[in-house]
Amino acid sequence: MRNIVLSTLLALSVSTSISYAQSTWTGGDDLPTNPLACDATPATAAAKPYDGGQPTNAPDRKGKTLTVVDVPKLVGIGYFNATSKGIADAAKEMGNMNAKTDGPSKANIDDQITLIDNYITSGVDGILFAANDPVAIAPVLKKALAAGINVVGYDANSTPDARQWFVNQAEFNGIAKAMIDSAAAEIGEDGAFAIVTSTFTTPNQARWISEMEAYQAKCHPKMKWLETVEAQEDNILSFNQSNTLINKYGDELKGILGMTSVATPAAADAVTQAGKCGKIAVVGLATPNAMKPYVSADCVKSVVLWNPVDLGYAAAYVLRAVADGTLAPGGTTVKAGKLGDLSVINGSEILLGAPTVFTKENINNFDF
Amino acid sequence: MTVKSIFRHETLLALLLVAVLIVLSFQSDRFFTVSNLLNQGRLMTEIGLIAIAMTFVIATGGIDLSVGSILGLTAILTGVFWQNVGMPLAVAACAAIAVGSFAGFCNGLIITRFNVPPLIATLATLALYRGLAEGISQARSVRGYPEWFYVLGQGEVLGVPTQLWILLLAAVLASIILAYTRWGRTVYAIGSNEVASRFSGLSVEHTKLALYTASGFAAALAGVIFVSRVSTTRSDMGTGIELDAITAVVLGGTSIFGGRGTILGTVIGLCLIQALKNGLSLAGVKGDGTIMLIGAVLILAILASNLFERSGTR
Amino acid sequence: MAMTGIDLPPVRPRTGLQRPGALRRLVSDYGQELVVLTAIVALFIVVTMVNPRFISTNNLTSIFAGNAYIAVAAIGMSMVIITGHIDVSVGALIGVLATISGTLAVAGYPVWVAWFAPVLVGMAINSVIGVLVAYARIPSIVVTLGALSILRGGLISVTGGTWISGLPPEFLIAQKRLLGLPVPIIAMVVLTILAALWMRYSAFGRSLYAIGGNPEAALATGIPTERRTVAVFAIHGAFAGLATILFATQLQVIQSTVPPNLELTVITASVIGGVSILGGTGTVIGSTLATILFATIGSALIFVNVSAYWLRAVIGLLILATVLADMLRRRGRA
Repeated sequence: MRNIVLSTLLALSVSTSISYAQSTWTGGDDLPTNPLACDATPATAAAKPYDGGQPTNAPDRKGKTLTVVDVPKLVGIGYFNATSKGIADAAKEMGNMNAKTDGPSKANIDDQITLIDNYITSGVDGILFAANDPVAIAPVLKKALAAGINVVGYDANSTPDARQWFVNQAEFNGIAKAMIDSAAAEIGEDGAFAIVTSTFTTPNQARWISEMEAYQAKCHPKMKWLETVEAQEDNILSFNQSNTLINKYGDELKGILGMTSVATPAAADAVTQAGKCGKIAVVGLATPNAMKPYVSADCVKSVVLWNPVDLGYAAAYVLRAVADGTLAPGGTTVKAGKLGDLSVINGSEILLGAPTVFTKENINNFDF
Repeated sequence: MTVKSIFRHETLLALLLVAVLIVLSFQSDRFFTVSNLLNQGRLMTEIGLIAIAMTFVIATGGIDLSVGSILGLTAILTGVFWQNVGMPLAVAACAAIAVGSFAGFCNGLIITRFNVPPLIATLATLALYRGLAEGISQARSVRGYPEWFYVLGQGEVLGVPTQLWILLLAAVLASIILAYTRWGRTVYAIGSNEVASRFSGLSVEHTKLALYTASGFAAALAGVIFVSRVSTTRSDMGTGIELDAITAVVLGGTSIFGGRGTILGTVIGLCLIQALKNGLSLAGVKGDGTIMLIGAVLILAILASNLFERSGTR
Repeated sequence: MAMTGIDLPPVRPRTGLQRPGALRRLVSDYGQELVVLTAIVALFIVVTMVNPRFISTNNLTSIFAGNAYIAVAAIGMSMVIITGHIDVSVGALIGVLATISGTLAVAGYPVWVAWFAPVLVGMAINSVIGVLVAYARIPSIVVTLGALSILRGGLISVTGGTWISGLPPEFLIAQKRLLGLPVPIIAMVVLTILAALWMRYSAFGRSLYAIGGNPEAALATGIPTERRTVAVFAIHGAFAGLATILFATQLQVIQSTVPPNLELTVITASVIGGVSILGGTGTVIGSTLATILFATIGSALIFVNVSAYWLRAVIGLLILATVLADMLRRRGRA
């Protein structure tokens, strides 16, 4: 029968794909890594000169009301709702900033560039952005600087010379250390784990994974890295992918690490529904609201994240300080309202602080 | 079908475009300026090139959903050929465009030789080509192109964005081919009645093969321009661009069933969408509001043109 | 509206004058379905040889239950395509309906209200689309492209993308079991069988094939083409609503955005399952089988350790292989 021939053909194409198999892949990028010390020794950062850009012929905006647009990677996910709330809070507090958030409905570099371009034409005073791609966004940001607009990034950086300052939520190696240390504490030094990420092309996630790989090799060498799967920014797909991992590795799998605020709750749900709470640990980056059910059910012990509301809040204050001239190249600290003084690192970045680890005790104190 | 009926939709659309331009320029004084309009031309070139080729494809009653994936594949290959294979950049870009055109040729081959309906064939290659782009790139970006390469996507020639010249040239050439050559008439004939065209001795298979190859070429060219505009390559470039291009084409009056459509209509459709996106943004409307309005305009424009043509053939 | 002039597909004989053997008739009526089914079985055999855990109950449950909503949505989509139309807005519609359903559930309405609302709203929205297609004579791809933009933009501007959490446990029907089987699997199987019987044996169902095959002829034989078109879009909306219930109750939170590329997944499932895009042929059994095939492929590739970077390329290759296999089969028969 012809059908048998055809299905043999299909089966063959599957088996050829198996031959692709054994190469290792992790989903990290190929940039150099800089793992932190295994104990709590803080990293000694070499002082770097200011490497950000400068707007040309920016008018004197000191004390004047600023029109600001915030362009996140995409609108419609909890994380950027929180940053946008932080920006709005700060704007309200300062009283002399009109901020609005407008972003692409998909994490799409082209839509984001077009939006920023339009806002340059419409003549805003300041742009806050979270880049979908650090290089692709650079030309349009440079155009903004050339038009005299103040440009400050948060969450996801661009190339340094395309913006003035970048508010860094936490350093990549800091996140990596928090993730791997939490995982090691829950699954043991010789536990095996898998990762659910968004896509391999998302710069932040790829960077974290590389740093995690380096830190794990250095400080927890016996942990076993099983594999990394992609799940877009889609919670049902994240759920299905987590299930597949659970089914594939059986008892070997001790932990799932979620790299996005979409993947982590979905992974927790998969573990819950599989009845594996306590047997498979879920560690990941996530917003507390989405994780409350799993944390209070004792299925998830710790959630790693900075406070995105604070991140947006700090970004708005940095933009204000830049426009007022109180934060100039060479500055070492900046005042950010209720957050106090934040310090400058890496030349032109402002560090929000160490990531917060949410647990059953404190998670109900946060609402974002 | 008379000349009059062909131009009826385009006239209506052109009037709508003028009305939109007037309204939007009252909303923001920064809208109707030479620099803004030229800049919009820069932003719409990639969709424009794809939409022009798509007009031919749809006019034959076909469709090409794989263009966004071909764009992504070409972008990745440009970078990989240049950096990893070590070709000179100009050669690398041409080689990538050749591969993109070949991808289009494969679409045509599947459609003509295996008799697979275009929608299904290109739905399958949409997944395949995007997958190849991802596999080849291994999620790595290629950056740091020499300065001259950016002239294509970020530079200007005679005060007009470089790529806009390419779009204009493509539009003029395509209009002439579709309206005045035997080949163009073959396209309409296939769209109106493929079986009859075949019996009247027209080379249906060859025409279709050439069209899908051209569609691949347009998408590939758009890919290289895109790389030059954003100065990096990513395997997810061009995701979803097929729906934007199809929207422009059908808004421009090309019948999705084939047999009818003009390049002029497609270009007006493109300008209308771009004007709405830009003008509404300048007027303070957020992105999601703009998307909704474009959807409504699409339905209403076709509805209006149907009402005017009620007495006609369809 | 007529689809004449495009490639004429070999029409599958539904009622033969000669009466061939039962097996032959099965093969000729359900050829593509058999190709897909064989592919599923072949995949299961190959992958299970590599990793026996693949056919564990848990994994089967994940594959079937986790993708049941796609299959249910593909049933309605198949009906639309059989009638000679298409709908590219179904993903956005499901996103909107999920948000409505979740909002009602959280607001404290009885769960049955939260379950029925998406079905009713889905029918209402798609009836409007159907009217525009049938009476205003706008091609369905145009109407639904427009609807896609309107629904997606509207969803974001209304919700701002806030997730819906705190869903009452009794709302989460997709997590429940009936007779030991997860509800999504039962829903998928029952709905597929009912729809298949209805499409094959009811006058309404058969008229859809007639409309898709040749609308002028259908009209001439007294089929109210326009009313049927509106009805089929409304039914498609109801299936989208049912799919939404499974989709929205799978997790404890609802992501109130449009699921990325869902419309393409649903359309692909329908056409790979044997529904001719030109209308007139195909069955809903095929679309459900194709959904299962995709779900199996997605899971299998992880099980056999295909490099995640090449995953999508392999999926694309398999889809293409299925399509070409079907075409070769038809050619072989012709």
